Amino acid sequence: MAAPVYILGGYQTDFARNWKKENKHIVAMIREAVEGGLEATGIDPREIQVGHVGNFAAELYAMQGHLGAFLVDVDPAFSGLPTARHEAACASGSIAILAASAEIEAGRYDLALVVGVEQMKTVDPAKGGEFLGTAAWYEREAKGIEFPFPKLFGRLGDEYDRRYGLKDEHLAHISAINYSNAKRNPLAQTRNWYMTEDQARSVDKFNTVIGGRIKISDCSQVTDGAVSLFLASEKAAAAYAKKRGIALESIPRLLGWGHRTAPIEFDTKIAESRNNPYVLPHTRQAILDAFRRAGIPDVWAVQAIETHDCFTTSEYMAIDHFGITKPGESWKAIEDGTIEMGGKLPINPSGGLIGCGHPVGATGVRQVLDAYKQVTGQCGDYQVENAKRVATLNIGGSGTTSVSFVVGFA
Amino acid sequence: MVVPVTFQTLSRNDKHATNLGLFELRLRGILLMIPIQKVVVLGANGTMGAGSGEVFAAGGCDVVFLARTIEKAHEGLVAAQNMAKSVRIADRISLGTYDQDLEEAVAKADLIFEALAEDIELKKSFFAKVDKHRRPESIVATVSSGLSIAEMALGRSESFRRNFLGIHLFNPPNVIVGTEVIPHEGTDPQLVREMVQLLERRFGRVAIVAADKPAFAGNRVGFKVLNEVAILAEEHGVAFMDYLIGPYTGRAMSPLATIDLVGWDVHKAIVDNVYAHTKDEAHEAFRLPAYMEELIGRGHLGNKTPQFGGFYRRVKEGNQTVQLVLDPKTGAYKDLREAAVRKLPWLEKIRDLHHVGRYREALQQFLSAEGPEADLARKVVFGYISYALNRVGEKEVVREVRDIDRIMGFGFNWAPPSVLIDIFGPEETIRQLERYKLPVPAILRTVSPGQKLFREPHVNIGRFFAA
Repeated sequence: MAAPVYILGGYQTDFARNWKKENKHIVAMIREAVEGGLEATGIDPREIQVGHVGNFAAELYAMQGHLGAFLVDVDPAFSGLPTARHEAACASGSIAILAASAEIEAGRYDLALVVGVEQMKTVDPAKGGEFLGTAAWYEREAKGIEFPFPKLFGRLGDEYDRRYGLKDEHLAHISAINYSNAKRNPLAQTRNWYMTEDQARSVDKFNTVIGGRIKISDCSQVTDGAVSLFLASEKAAAAYAKKRGIALESIPRLLGWGHRTAPIEFDTKIAESRNNPYVLPHTRQAILDAFRRAGIPDVWAVQAIETHDCFTTSEYMAIDHFGITKPGESWKAIEDGTIEMGGKLPINPSGGLIGCGHPVGATGVRQVLDAYKQVTGQCGDYQVENAKRVATLNIGGSGTTSVSFVVGFA
Repeated sequence: MVVPVTFQTLSRNDKHATNLGLFELRLRGILLMIPIQKVVVLGANGTMGAGSGEVFAAGGCDVVFLARTIEKAHEGLVAAQNMAKSVRIADRISLGTYDQDLEEAVAKADLIFEALAEDIELKKSFFAKVDKHRRPESIVATVSSGLSIAEMALGRSESFRRNFLGIHLFNPPNVIVGTEVIPHEGTDPQLVREMVQLLERRFGRVAIVAADKPAFAGNRVGFKVLNEVAILAEEHGVAFMDYLIGPYTGRAMSPLATIDLVGWDVHKAIVDNVYAHTKDEAHEAFRLPAYMEELIGRGHLGNKTPQFGGFYRRVKEGNQTVQLVLDPKTGAYKDLREAAVRKLPWLEKIRDLHHVGRYREALQQFLSAEGPEADLARKVVFGYISYALNRVGEKEVVREVRDIDRIMGFGFNWAPPSVLIDIFGPEETIRQLERYKLPVPAILRTVSPGQKLFREPHVNIGRFFAA
């Protein structure tokens, strides 16, 4: 049994902001997330022993690498702090959390700072689409293709259609739920945007098709955002609890994790899963690994899910891969209201990547922070009642790197 | 007049479109709320009419866009679609004309929203018609940015007066969420309270209550600073003043560029109104500079008159666009590149600190910067703090400092005064106000060191400081 890893809190920047318009360097985003997190938790920066940064492509978007070193710039107390940056496309944030939690489990450190960050509004959409293409096998799947990722995830929908049948109206419903949930989240990028189910179903000059069956309303957002998270060993968490006069048992934990990587090429993945009821079996396995390590029997032991809806098709996939329905029957949970706020198992109360936003390298950290907020009752208008455990799923590439966490109380 | 919203008004489609779902209402504990489902917008072809109509439609209302002609009403619809980035928002909008449809639409409406030109006689003539046809419990609101609400209510029926108030949205309403609710003496106080809640909960606004005084709260404080910078531009130059009081001082856009965007005619209307009808410690800051008066007469209204321009003008030279800048002394325009201002090392240092997110250090540098330029910049910024806080009080424009903070932060995208005071500290703020002979708001003397004035949840002060 691995040593427990506690979550002490964190901070999310407002995902509606445009940091290029504010003429800010990416370090300003990191600084706000860390300073906000220190203020929210009351942690003394001198107590932090290690730092991990999740980021996908600052070299491309912001002409800046070596982001781990920018943590040190945030506070004089961080001078000398061991840090590193982690990259696994859109799963970069979760990989940073995994690295930090592995070190705590191993007993190397007691208090780790994790930051996920991405600045994306520095370039036009076409250029950004090309940068994102490097999360696929660029030369084979993205080079010379406009917006390669919507097309790849459109093909995920096509594969569902081929195996089980898929109605676009179910995808439109997923989009509408995420936008609707985002309206309750004060940090969501689209909180003041207009979207209805009718609009998500419509193809018109605003809701254009950008690849296969994927329309604008099926896509997550181009987002600038940074998120911090503090992970602690039992020793550090106990000290933290004692200082604040709270019980150690009131601090949630990373109960379980799963991490799998499938072949990077989409066609290879699909060929591999040909005889499997699950379209992305490695993603399914990452979820099962997280459940097993958390000691929970199935998805009904969690009260909410924060999943990777980079496109509506990926959330459609997540529904059956989490085991909410049988394979190919995700539409049932969409039709009967299971995944809505107030439903049996709400998905993305935050609004997810479609509604809350998708700063690529920050997303995995944002999901776990939202899970933490849910199980500690800090979500305000998007709080899921009686949330004791929340599961996350964060995916890099076209279903390539999958990381799942279960957050909460045993 | 206030009755619970009925469950029948909530359709399944509304649930995902709006904040109207039953779950939502339970969640937020707001089942008791004024039932606004049918809205009529008068002047729906104008920017504020179309924009406000979009806000109501996006909040799940059925909105009738009225204009002089059906073509004009349709222009408003197209503008609303462009703002919402949605063709389908039209599903919630119907079109009509004053002659054909006003009577019936007003009779059916829960809210009649007036967004006509800022001409009090025109507005009053429409309100007389509205009064004749409206249901006694319907709400009537004006989007006016500063005309007297009381005067508009004069001569109207008792039920009209009780249900009449200002709802001042800022332009563009779908982006800028700051909103002022302005009652007159006869407005039902419960309506005011519920309207604020409704605007916040259902329409995503940041709403405050402001007194029925010229320009209300946001424009009173904002245009004092804007006009002061326009006055100073005569001596110090346009580009220099925009540089000196630039985004680094806590605003999304430089002051004179802001006046160009707003329009010089609108600017004049606001400052003239305040100058004529108020007498406060900054009275002279509202006197429109003579050079602006003269240029307005020659058709220079800012961005809306590109051929003349305002403080700035863009001209085509071959296939290049060149930006020109006004010389207020001569009324002539010259190439902005030739008129480039000398960079101030202390100001560049502050910008660099903002650039990397060190906002507090940046503003400490602002305090210690030396030279006449730094003094001038501090005089304007501390003048803003002083003037804003002096508008707080029982007989003033708003009741609480928080109201001023919210309207400046979310109506103007300027650093709220409390954000600046929190960074400088109350004692240092008082010291600077005294140094520049600015009135020290009594409220400042009650703030203890270390006490935070700005307590808006989920808002990081970094958003207010562009580099």
